[in-house]
Amino acid sequence: MFAKPSIQLELSTHVWELALLALPMTLIVITAGIDLSIGSTMALCAVVLGLAHEIHVPIGLSAALAILTGLAAGVLNGIFVAYVKVHPLIVTLATLSAYRGIAEGISLGRPISGFPENFAWVGQGNICGLPMPGIIFAVAVIAFSLLLERSVIGHALYAMGHNEIASRYSGLPVNRIKLLIYSLSGTISGLAAVLFVARRNTAKADIGTGMELDVITAVVLGGTSIFGGRGRIIGTLLGVLLMHETREFVSWRWNNDELISLVVGVLMIAAVLVNSVLMRRGHKA
Amino acid sequence: MKALYARRESGVALVLVLTVVVVTLVNHSFLSATNISDMLVQCAPGMIIGCGLTLVIVTGEIDISIGSLMGLLAAVMGLLTTPEHLGLPVSVGVVLTLFLGTAVGLVNGFLVTVGRAPSIIVTLGMLTTLRGATELLMDGRWITGLPAKLRFLGTGSVTGVRVSLWTVALVIAAAMMLVRGTPLGQRIYAVGSNPQAARLAGLSLIRVKLFVFTLTGFLVGIATIISVPQLSTIESGIGIGLELFVVTAVMVGGASISGGKGTIIGTIFGVLLLGIVRTVLIFLNLGEHMVYWERAIQGGFILVAVVIDRFAKRRPN
Repeated sequence: MFAKPSIQLELSTHVWELALLALPMTLIVITAGIDLSIGSTMALCAVVLGLAHEIHVPIGLSAALAILTGLAAGVLNGIFVAYVKVHPLIVTLATLSAYRGIAEGISLGRPISGFPENFAWVGQGNICGLPMPGIIFAVAVIAFSLLLERSVIGHALYAMGHNEIASRYSGLPVNRIKLLIYSLSGTISGLAAVLFVARRNTAKADIGTGMELDVITAVVLGGTSIFGGRGRIIGTLLGVLLMHETREFVSWRWNNDELISLVVGVLMIAAVLVNSVLMRRGHKA
Repeated sequence: MKALYARRESGVALVLVLTVVVVTLVNHSFLSATNISDMLVQCAPGMIIGCGLTLVIVTGEIDISIGSLMGLLAAVMGLLTTPEHLGLPVSVGVVLTLFLGTAVGLVNGFLVTVGRAPSIIVTLGMLTTLRGATELLMDGRWITGLPAKLRFLGTGSVTGVRVSLWTVALVIAAAMMLVRGTPLGQRIYAVGSNPQAARLAGLSLIRVKLFVFTLTGFLVGIATIISVPQLSTIESGIGIGLELFVVTAVMVGGASISGGKGTIIGTIFGVLLLGIVRTVLIFLNLGEHMVYWERAIQGGFILVAVVIDRFAKRRPN
């Protein structure tokens, strides 16, 4: 039985990093921006965590350093997007190369392992049967929902996505908000890296490759418009769930990992076509 | 000098020239005929696909399925022509490969124009779909024993110049002629810089966009047949990440992501700048560990080119 809770709980271990990263990505896409550097930021943070552990920095402090590295990476993206005013696609394409490159450079491409057991608990342990990463994700969902749907900043994000110039003239601190959301994206990438390393007990410069595309797929499947101005956290949750369940189902039912990309890709094209048809109906009505 | 500042390619051209000068000063053999030929061959697929992608980006769209398409075409070409599998004549295999590439480009264009779906999402879906199809086709195998005629396309020379270099020269010349000398070329820029005006002027946005996507699919086919046979085996990972490389190169070359701006020559500069980083690191002789920094330096180059471009534009005319 695929739908059995115990099986679902076991399969859920693969989803948490994707789910976490989809939250800040939703905010960014709502402003008509994009962050392609998240997978590379994860790699950089993971390598920082590993290297810090190797020189006997306490594991808690190493994890904090990793998250700070993510913050710094996000701040740099944000500065280029908001203040140098380069298109986010270009900035984050550049830092996609740069961050992974730095991760490869400082680790010389070798894997780092041997993390303590109490650290593994962060990624693999559970409280009352609920997996630790799941609890962290739940907290993040609440925080991001409040930020997007109950705060002034949330309203500003939609406004910026609809019409950035008008938002500027209305006195919204557009630049500062951009800096904030790209920094959040970097920080969450750092957090995702910590969870990933804790789960796999290994840090290497190739982790998170292609993660940006999976995350964007999930966010778009969840109904957030790539042109900005529209999207909700609940939609993103459904998008993540749809993508995760499709993958795990294909892998569980046919035991064929090659089929997964094919199904997810077709699903995505179908979803965006249906969306475009529905939108046109909506416009006519 | 003013005209130079106004050119959007100036940022990338400056960084490229400086890099070449510095490396040549350190190591004179950098500009030897063999090394130049090797670097150009290495950059050939990027330059060929870049020509098509530049036009896609000029129309205000994007195509990120090119890497996966190359993977699929490599697999299909290998399966069609190797004696171990279908063993068709190389010419038939090559034609079918080009045909499939063109067809996938057409489907992309169709979904974007008639289906009215955002191109980044359509081609992201296609990226995933085609990679999945490739993996299913290859089933974890490696294709070996490519026929000699096919290998010739990748490794052979005609009058002392590599086949891939002839092909690149031809594609660049054709693309520049298309852009500068034909009504279609002008329409591509018209559609990108002001879609409403273009529509009012009676241009078919659908036809122009269908054309650029189809052309890009065809060029991915061309890039596949001259680059993949350089190696003696074909595996399912060919082309992974190529989309990021080419899109980045086009952007570095001065094209605007919102359409209307971008030149073939700028893209060529962009591909060369990003494509020679590894060779540069080797020729600078900085030690074996330096190759690990290739991607970091590529990223740095992009940021530098972007910032130079930014400040060049802010200069009053």
